[in-house]
Amino acid sequence: MDISTSSGQRPRVLIHDPTLRDGHHAVGHQLDTDQLRAYAEAADAARIPVVEVGHGNGLGASSLQIGQAKLPDASMLKTVREALTHSRMGVFMAPGWGTADDLRAAVAHGADVVRIAAHCTEAGVTERHLGVARDLGAEAQGVLLMSHMAVPGQLAEQCAALAQFGAQAVGIMDSAGHYLPTDVAERVHAIASAVDVPVIFHGHNNLSLAVANSLAAIEAGASIIDATARGFGAGAGNTQLEVLVAVLQRRGFDTGIGLREVLHAADVAEARLMKAQPVIDSVSLVSGLAGVFSGFRQPVLATALCEGVDPLDLFLALGERQVVAGQEDLIADVARQLKDAS
Amino acid sequence: MAADERRSSVAVLGAGLIGIDLADKIRRSKSLELCLVVGRDRQSVGLARAADMGCATASGGITALLASGPFDVVFDASNADCHADHWAALRKTGTTLIDLTPTQLGTVVVPTVNGNQAAAYRHINLVSCGGQAAIPVLHAVAQHCTPTYIEVVSTGASASAGRATRLNLDQYIATTQAAIRSFTGAPEVKVMVNLSPARPAPPFRVVMTVLAHDLCRGPVSAAVASAAEEVRAFAPGFAVNCVEVKDGRVSVAVEVTATGGRIPRYAGNLDIINGAALLLAEQHAVALSR
Repeated sequence: MDISTSSGQRPRVLIHDPTLRDGHHAVGHQLDTDQLRAYAEAADAARIPVVEVGHGNGLGASSLQIGQAKLPDASMLKTVREALTHSRMGVFMAPGWGTADDLRAAVAHGADVVRIAAHCTEAGVTERHLGVARDLGAEAQGVLLMSHMAVPGQLAEQCAALAQFGAQAVGIMDSAGHYLPTDVAERVHAIASAVDVPVIFHGHNNLSLAVANSLAAIEAGASIIDATARGFGAGAGNTQLEVLVAVLQRRGFDTGIGLREVLHAADVAEARLMKAQPVIDSVSLVSGLAGVFSGFRQPVLATALCEGVDPLDLFLALGERQVVAGQEDLIADVARQLKDAS
Repeated sequence: MAADERRSSVAVLGAGLIGIDLADKIRRSKSLELCLVVGRDRQSVGLARAADMGCATASGGITALLASGPFDVVFDASNADCHADHWAALRKTGTTLIDLTPTQLGTVVVPTVNGNQAAAYRHINLVSCGGQAAIPVLHAVAQHCTPTYIEVVSTGASASAGRATRLNLDQYIATTQAAIRSFTGAPEVKVMVNLSPARPAPPFRVVMTVLAHDLCRGPVSAAVASAAEEVRAFAPGFAVNCVEVKDGRVSVAVEVTATGGRIPRYAGNLDIINGAALLLAEQHAVALSR
């Protein structure tokens, strides 16, 4: 990807759109083929560079533990692939949830960009799968989840490892929506100084800072930014795509995306994908402060109701346990401990 | 075993977290004599630790091991990618090979389920740490229902997973799924793995969900409790946190802590698979001495 700027050109930012992947957390992974097709066509018409699709936790993650998707991975990929004429198709896979077989199937279904994810200190688990993604001829990217749990120097080391394993872009996800802009700037700067590949930032809006954090990331050296239409995502949602595009336009960055077209895509997302737009309610605000994975919102609310505990207390207790995505089984355990202690 | 009886000669192939804990356990065994710990690189931290414990060590992998043998039992704690070569090199030597890497090559053994037949096998596979924790429970549950779907999620502490474990996650998942299918008859099995960076490091946790239409409440919980008691014979830190039987679904959470040895308490994943390996080698030694 070309991120260099020759004089006279506006600096370029590549928008990566996981509406049809991360948005799945807001609807229990239940998007159907018509919904996927409608949004993918609108995103393609808006010339959004990468449209990511899949279960909320990526390839192979459909399960009782995390939530069973309405559609198998293959149907999701086939539907979106058929709808895209300009945009590239992205997939997300975390080793331990998905496997190399899932990657091979995804690339056979036309995935162009393959993101391999690991928790912020666990880059070591991506070595094999980044290699597989490269061998398959896809663009391989490496991302670190729950990145607020590690200090800037650690994230820089982990990103350097991702790049060494073959990642062609590396970066961090603010999976809990915990960062302030200065946190992001410090981390992205450390990463950009440690690697020679483009740096990715993926924000969540629990503290109403996702767009500001994305801008801080760009100014610190990030050039691939994740954003979803209407911020479609669990709880407070993600960085809001159409707002980000408008803000970047004002700030003088070129995304290659037309405002009218992205506004239309966002309208389609609102009308077709979501029951309600993401909102920063009390629970989402506390989950961001507690540093808990945003995708835990629905299971936490359900468990809190069932066990008769306050969801805010449950989020705070899970934050103290430093739970990471994939550990949904701990929610009921921690709820019972809270109940017994009260 | 009487003091004058010959102890079985054993060697450990692999000087990672698993190999070194295993070496430590073997040193304390009355029926096994640890003759050699083999790593790949002379400079590896693991080999230095083994030497500090007073073990004979060698670098150079299987070639070095063959040069020093033969041994009654060799434990393969290296990397699933290398195991087929290790078995090819050892199969004609008369050695019994106990594989702790997640391959589907040897006969799968879970001590409390089919360990009594293990002495007859010369090439044993121990599935995975998650498999050793889950299969005793799942096998017990499957005696009381007909599982249609089984899901197992294991979470280990980041510090308890070395490089080979991280490289072998796909083999870990495939091998564990296959073993669960074969021990329970469930047509569909899904295994997922998490590594937790939390501090202090959490114990090894394995959560199982069994779906079955023909469940009855009473015997299932009792069966899980009795299976756990049997596992504690060689993995004393094995604890059942919760058993729930409801609406055609059994959910069981177990946690395993390491006890006794040099490894930290959270590393129950190492403790249970190494405990199983040690038990089988000791049973093998008894069979040899008869």
